[in-house]
Amino acid sequence: MGELLITGRYELRHHLDAGAPQDSLAAFTDPAAARDIALYDAAGNYRPLRTAPTLKRGWRLSLATIEQLRDALDAFYPAMLAARLAFDQGRLAVTPLRETLARQSGMYAVTRKISNPNADALIGTFCRSDCACLKTILWPIAADIPITSLPPDKFHPTPDPAIIPLLCAEACNLLVARAREVVKQSAP
Amino acid sequence: MSMSVPKPGSALILLGHGSTVNPDSSTPTVLHAESIKRRGLFDEVVCAFWKEEPSFRQVLDMVESPDVYIVPNFISEGYFTQKIIPRELGLEGPLTHLPPRPGLPARTLKYCDPVGNHPGMTELLLHRAREVAPGVDPRAASLVIVGHGTSLNENSGLAVKEQVASIQARGEYEEVLGMFMEEDPFVTDWQKHTSAPDVIVVPFFVSDGLHSYQDIPVLLGIESEPGAAASSAAVFRRNPYPIGGRRLHYSSAIGTDPLFASVILDQVAGFDAQHPQRA
Repeated sequence: MGELLITGRYELRHHLDAGAPQDSLAAFTDPAAARDIALYDAAGNYRPLRTAPTLKRGWRLSLATIEQLRDALDAFYPAMLAARLAFDQGRLAVTPLRETLARQSGMYAVTRKISNPNADALIGTFCRSDCACLKTILWPIAADIPITSLPPDKFHPTPDPAIIPLLCAEACNLLVARAREVVKQSAP
Repeated sequence: MSMSVPKPGSALILLGHGSTVNPDSSTPTVLHAESIKRRGLFDEVVCAFWKEEPSFRQVLDMVESPDVYIVPNFISEGYFTQKIIPRELGLEGPLTHLPPRPGLPARTLKYCDPVGNHPGMTELLLHRAREVAPGVDPRAASLVIVGHGTSLNENSGLAVKEQVASIQARGEYEEVLGMFMEEDPFVTDWQKHTSAPDVIVVPFFVSDGLHSYQDIPVLLGIESEPGAAASSAAVFRRNPYPIGGRRLHYSSAIGTDPLFASVILDQVAGFDAQHPQRA
């Protein structure tokens, strides 16, 4: 799931630490440790977007129950288990970017002025999987306007049943906030 | 105070502001949720945030109980509680009925009052004021309650104004004033508005996040630029600050008080008292 490796009953670690010896990793057993681990990257920077590919390494989290596992996964990747279940049950509400922006008010009301090409370009950098966000985007810019700035696999959940997908049903507040900056910069 | 009656078949959703720049902003909301979860009163307890994930838009998919209590961990009945939250969660009023969906029962969303409306807030503010300025005689001190305030909603500053009125009525402090970040009277003008030698400033905020920890100290003049986040600095340990011949005492936000978990449960109990279940 994302950068996490889930093994046995129930241990979590960074997938790049798959082969690391047990005693080389800092050991945790409290599900609340998940938030502390996920809060900062390896350089100590705050991670407001938990699906950024910046999860730090060097730890393992052993959990006693499936409920604790769920709490920990919710801390590492908030709302992602729920989104996957809703998707599987055919009830995940997907919202095009235009609808998201049209509903904004206050300081974000201006975001509805972003042009389609500027929105596409913004998504192409702000959402790219290799350095920004690991989620699979399910929403278009508008019903008839797809995103063209990212590779096709960004829009299709992995078919691998061993991987819990990270599904993005609607543009996040971080993207909306960045759209505001784009509009402000392009204003005359 | 505090509800201790279990709510089987119920979920509790705590809503906070959160921040994309300050890691401490969401911490009190998360800690209060964990503390309530440990009491086992609800089948499910989750948080959601305006600026972090899970977002307000995602959170209804995270609970599956037929009854869903929603408590805003916000101070004022204003822009967020009256506009943003109802819009993002699709609320129609205090009660919203959602039809059943695949894998989900019919659900009733119960939109409770924000924590800042709770009558216990006055005591929490006074407790912080005494704590931050031990040995200071309140009869020779100005107490300033600071809120955000915004031109986006005229009710935003109301919570501060109500607290100021109720603390004034007790007659403990020489003077009690409300000031705001983005509304007149501005907190930057505190030297002009206050008169006592000791000035005690208590931010009426739910967390020591961007505003109460980094912005307001700059507006007060005790920091020249926004400092590091609260978890990595120590603004509150250097009281009092000598400024303009006066002593300024600046406290942490009240929302970090563990009593807040009880306040949240009280808002749920208060909702049920106002909206009794039909038999």
